[in-house]
Amino acid sequence: MAAADSPSAALRRRDLCSRGIRLAGKMRADVVDLLDAYVEQQGLDASASVAAVEGVPLAAVERWDEQTGTQRLLENLAAYRAFRALLAQMLEEQREQLGEAEAGLGRALAAVLLQVSAFAYHLEELLRLESRGIPGEEEEEEEEDGPPPPPRLSLFEQKLRGLGVLRELAQWAVRSVRDLRQLAKPSPATGAAESP
Amino acid sequence: DSHIQYERVGADVTMKCGSMDWDAAVTWTANGTDIDESHLNGSYLILKNVDLSQSGQYSCYEGSSWHLKYQTYLRVGTPPKEPVLMCRSNNYPKGFYCSWHLPTPTYIPNSFNISVIHGTKDMVCEKDAVPKNRCHIRYLQLFSTVKYKVTLTVTNALGKNFTTLTFDEFAIVKPDPPESVVAKPVPNNPRRLEVSWQNPSSWPDPESFPLKFFLRYRPLILDQWQHVELSDGTSHTITDAYAGKEYIIQVAAKDNDIGTWSDWSVAVHATPWTEEPKHLTTEAQITETTSASTSSFMAPPTTKICDKGAVVGSGAMAVCWTAGLVVAAYSVLFI
Repeated sequence: MAAADSPSAALRRRDLCSRGIRLAGKMRADVVDLLDAYVEQQGLDASASVAAVEGVPLAAVERWDEQTGTQRLLENLAAYRAFRALLAQMLEEQREQLGEAEAGLGRALAAVLLQVSAFAYHLEELLRLESRGIPGEEEEEEEEDGPPPPPRLSLFEQKLRGLGVLRELAQWAVRSVRDLRQLAKPSPATGAAESP
Repeated sequence: DSHIQYERVGADVTMKCGSMDWDAAVTWTANGTDIDESHLNGSYLILKNVDLSQSGQYSCYEGSSWHLKYQTYLRVGTPPKEPVLMCRSNNYPKGFYCSWHLPTPTYIPNSFNISVIHGTKDMVCEKDAVPKNRCHIRYLQLFSTVKYKVTLTVTNALGKNFTTLTFDEFAIVKPDPPESVVAKPVPNNPRRLEVSWQNPSSWPDPESFPLKFFLRYRPLILDQWQHVELSDGTSHTITDAYAGKEYIIQVAAKDNDIGTWSDWSVAVHATPWTEEPKHLTTEAQITETTSASTSSFMAPPTTKICDKGAVVGSGAMAVCWTAGLVVAAYSVLFI
């Protein structure tokens, strides 16, 4: 029953993938709206280039078409777990900074955070189906053990980082839809490279 | 010595006859035709306010010996204006292409150089053989938020110019229009038209990167289009067509998630199925026919089909007996 290539498992995978695609699609639409609101309310320039910020998972990937199903799921899961923490932090910063005027922004952020958590859980379900162990939640940076807490950013730096986070999240949402479509294709064996 | 000389339209050009002194006696020719002395200042040839028609081969000969002392090919032109550059991905996620042209001709040879930068990384845009002013790039990364910056520089002997485009991966995705659009009437359904089409052949992986479609249709006699957006499938049945009216139909495509709509497909025409008015018309024609020239029609030799102006067609079997009598009478006359 747990074997990923049994008919019922294949059906369940397809079903989870379809639902995941819908979740990711909705999440993307909400992130794009949130991005617009964020840029406006934070007084930022929408076209500003934001350097890659430490801790923000980049959606950019080389040889995307050569990834295995498991790789896709693991990378997605790691990303959305990171976004969950980043958005929670942004929400916290938001509550500290802002008054009533930006309550709407706070609510929109919370709604996206909820969707990110739900999607992460959905990915865990898919991994369970693949009979894969779900990696424990730990710090993504593996270069050092227990890095010192990052210095507190200035308000402006916080805003720029928030912009970077939301932009990458919007890219990830598109990538996740593509990844799930690849996953939904019938594959010969679990974990093996998908045949082109 | 022969060489090429490039000059701007409107410039004043002075040509020296090689190493000849200013006061040497020389003859200048343009494309083999002698140039009038009024254009000479000593042995120098003066061309004022040159125009495109003055491009050509100019030669200078020593007066008495007719030795060729100097030859040049004058090409009159203009420095390049800012080129027009466009980049597009019609084969996502494989890559994208950029194409360019000059808004006005320069009339002299131009060279183009294109550079593509993704973040800090230089990428090579491979020139296409055909068409000439086009190059393509394969994506090395997907889903990147880092923008691409494309700079096109055009250079000729009279100057240079350039233009830059900056865009992100998703923004330039625009598929080619759908192909093989077919519209057919539906038998016994006077208000339906069945439309089908195919994904553009340039779109490499419609399974992983599905397209959605936009259909528009209107009867030829009206200006206003009806629109339908379709999130999957490559066919659609129009169910609200006006009976008997010819329709024009087009389809456009877009990646399901990113980019912009394609141009509209080639237009197809179709008319919904109609209920046999042609049949009735044919019978009506038969009952009041004045011509028996309908080749396949063989009427019995009765007076019914015969009318006042009944004509005997050549080879037709349907002969009116009255006409037959007339023919017989004539035959008798000619015997």
